[in-house]
Amino acid sequence: MVFARFIGFAVVRAWQGFWRNAMMSLAATATVILMLVLLSGLFIVIAGLNSGLEFIESKVGVTARLVEGLPEAQRNVLISYVEELPGVQSVEYVSPEMAMERLREWHRQRGQELSFGGSDPELYASIEVSLLDPGASRAVSEALVERREVSEITTSQDAYDKLLGIIGVIRTVGIIALGLVGLTVLFMIVNTIRIAVYSRANEIEIMRLVGASDSFIRWPFILEGILSGLIGAVITIVLVAIVWDPIQPILFDVFQMETAVSAQYLATLSAIVLGAGLGVSALGSWISVRSNLSSTT
Amino acid sequence: MIGALTRPRARAQEAASQPVITMVDVGMTYPNGKVALADVNVAIPAGDFVFLVGPSGAGKSTFIRLLIREQLPTSGRVIVASRDLSRLRRREVPRLRRRIGIVFQDFRLLPAKTVFENVAFALEVTGAAGSEIRRRVPQLLNLVGLQDHADHLPTQLSGGEQQRVAIARALVHDPAMLIADEPTGNLDPVTSWEIIQLLIQINGLGTTVLMATHNQEIVNAMRRRVLALEHGSLVRDESGAAYEREY
Repeated sequence: MVFARFIGFAVVRAWQGFWRNAMMSLAATATVILMLVLLSGLFIVIAGLNSGLEFIESKVGVTARLVEGLPEAQRNVLISYVEELPGVQSVEYVSPEMAMERLREWHRQRGQELSFGGSDPELYASIEVSLLDPGASRAVSEALVERREVSEITTSQDAYDKLLGIIGVIRTVGIIALGLVGLTVLFMIVNTIRIAVYSRANEIEIMRLVGASDSFIRWPFILEGILSGLIGAVITIVLVAIVWDPIQPILFDVFQMETAVSAQYLATLSAIVLGAGLGVSALGSWISVRSNLSSTT
Repeated sequence: MIGALTRPRARAQEAASQPVITMVDVGMTYPNGKVALADVNVAIPAGDFVFLVGPSGAGKSTFIRLLIREQLPTSGRVIVASRDLSRLRRREVPRLRRRIGIVFQDFRLLPAKTVFENVAFALEVTGAAGSEIRRRVPQLLNLVGLQDHADHLPTQLSGGEQQRVAIARALVHDPAMLIADEPTGNLDPVTSWEIIQLLIQINGLGTTVLMATHNQEIVNAMRRRVLALEHGSLVRDESGAAYEREY
């Protein structure tokens, strides 16, 4: 019962303290929101890129453009040869007609009609090599380059490596930015609680004199700081939920790939945002209380 | 009703042989080298009413700070309610302070809280139940004669009334001892006497009262035990004594 009364007391006092020191509390909350929005943005972009990476990884293969007019017999020899290469899962022949149909389908999915302005170009025939192991891409490419039936090799390995590099850069820059904003949040919360402690110096002194324990004196201030984190996290989660659907096509347009940031990821992201908001604010208010409220002597 | 507020007189008398405050060779030297107290030896039995007198800087405030363990002595032992304060663990300090009520010259009330809330605050911050607060605060306001002022803010009260609120708050945990640090310092003579009458009434109910004061008239009229400090030393410990002119 005493514990329940303690919790009730601390929560009520924290709430009163938050609004009594409204200007600073709201400024601290705003910095928490800034940090968490940045965090969410970073997580969404990285998750999108990772999912794109998986997509590419699953599609890593080699496409070999065939020389024009290659007889079917020679083509079959080539296919048999490639099928025997290590790491190869399957080989598919794509005729010029099939290539054109694919191009039309790609445009149709985006609501566009493919048009060549009256002319009727013919695309190249090619073979598409699917791999069991994306690591085999280089060896298969090298083997194909030697063949005279092949005019040009394209592989998604380069795109995969490039994307991996981009993710690395975004992750590094994002973590540095998050670290800086996180420090700002800590600084804001430490100062907010410092001001709250100073403005209630009389109350604190009376509490000590009448025998209030350290927990009764300290926890309302710690909870007051946590309140900034909690409110900031809830607002951020609502903001992210609101923009979640509208940003999916934007992500697609920017990254030109199936980012597939799933709806379940929104729940995970909400938990991360809540944890980060509560964690940083609790740390800030704890530091402030430790340094500004000396223990009972 | 008042009898229920403090320990029964019989219990106080039974405990009278046991000093509620004991100081043994107590010395207090601040880090800057200033000697605030030197070799102070005092024993105050339960139920006593004691004046602590001395000029400014004599060590009265340090004496009080040691009793409520705001500071620890640099030498000697301070024993309050059978507890050696130097050996008290940090988490035990709040419990000790509930055994000691304290009032100050400047009342130290919370201006935004009503009379009732100021007294109730001392119970709330120690985890008291709402039912206990609703039962106890009116009893204390009756004791100090402010039952009709429960909803007033401190600014709506006279100095004497504010000091009564502070006394009610100090008694909220039914302490063994009440320390009054210049409680009449901001009050006119008539009001001062009203506060003294209240302290005598509280003492009569078994609570030990230690009052630091410069008020010569009150000390002389009361003829109680007087502890006189000068330059940190206890220069006089006399029962039924008067305030001496050298202060």
